Amino acid sequence: MMVLITGGSGSGKSAYAEKTAVSLAGKGPLYYLATMKVYDGEGRKKVDRHRNLRAGKGFLTIEQPTGILLAVSQMNRGKGTVLLECLSNLVANEMFASKKIRREKEVADQLCAELCSLAEHTEHLVIVTNNVFEDGIPYEETTRAYMEALGRVNAFIAARADAVTEVVVGIPVPIKGDLL
Amino acid sequence: MELYIGGYAQGKLTYVLKKTGIPPERVYDPVASVPDCAETGAAVINHFHILVKALLKEGKSPEDRVREILARNPGVIVISDEVGNGIVPTDAGEREYRERLGRILCGLAEKADRVERIVCGIGQKIK
Repeated sequence: MMVLITGGSGSGKSAYAEKTAVSLAGKGPLYYLATMKVYDGEGRKKVDRHRNLRAGKGFLTIEQPTGILLAVSQMNRGKGTVLLECLSNLVANEMFASKKIRREKEVADQLCAELCSLAEHTEHLVIVTNNVFEDGIPYEETTRAYMEALGRVNAFIAARADAVTEVVVGIPVPIKGDLL
Repeated sequence: MELYIGGYAQGKLTYVLKKTGIPPERVYDPVASVPDCAETGAAVINHFHILVKALLKEGKSPEDRVREILARNPGVIVISDEVGNGIVPTDAGEREYRERLGRILCGLAEKADRVERIVCGIGQKIK
């Protein structure tokens, strides 16, 4: 099963995504694919907060900020449930990691293919993304290209997902399929 | 306590007043405060996000203030903009505000008897 979970900053989407992944995994292996790169104290604080949220829930954490398929070889507990958090960081990392900023279509096409392939290596794939699209600010070209890439990947995954859920003030709202 | 959220200019206050019949005199608004209407006694707190932002700016804890308001006014209706659905701001203070407001709203939603999201003036009951 594939589940896409979206929401804004501080919406409670991570907590809901963890709950979903834990319940899908049952007694099977449970992996957390962390895509965030830590640059400073604020990033560290965010990672620590998420680590505390996950503590004791049985996740094996794999840090994979780019090249998401490289994580497959680290899933040493066997095929299981993967919680990937989050797409907005993964897209940014793929787009801006090298000196030359990559084109949005190239990044989106690569990620769509990689995520399809990742899904085949999992029993259940829960993907967290971020609603960065509704502040109405006309951003400059680079940010618009990033939003375009993320939007494309979101739509691609949502079309294939069994369930798409938006988390609003901590409450899951079904967009596609049923709540789990 | 009830929580009504939504984007800017979605008709949240109009929706709440029409639905409940609460007169505008009983609405506390940190932007344009009704005289003698304190947030701890108001029927409705409008622009709740602005209240949180103002407290953060003054270096006060919005979480403490919210606890105090709810203790003294358990039946209050809270109306807030959703501000987290955008590109992460470059300004650290703005990021902090979005994150803190988001968490406070999650906490309010958990305690609330009812949560509605207003889109284009239409209420969508989510709790």
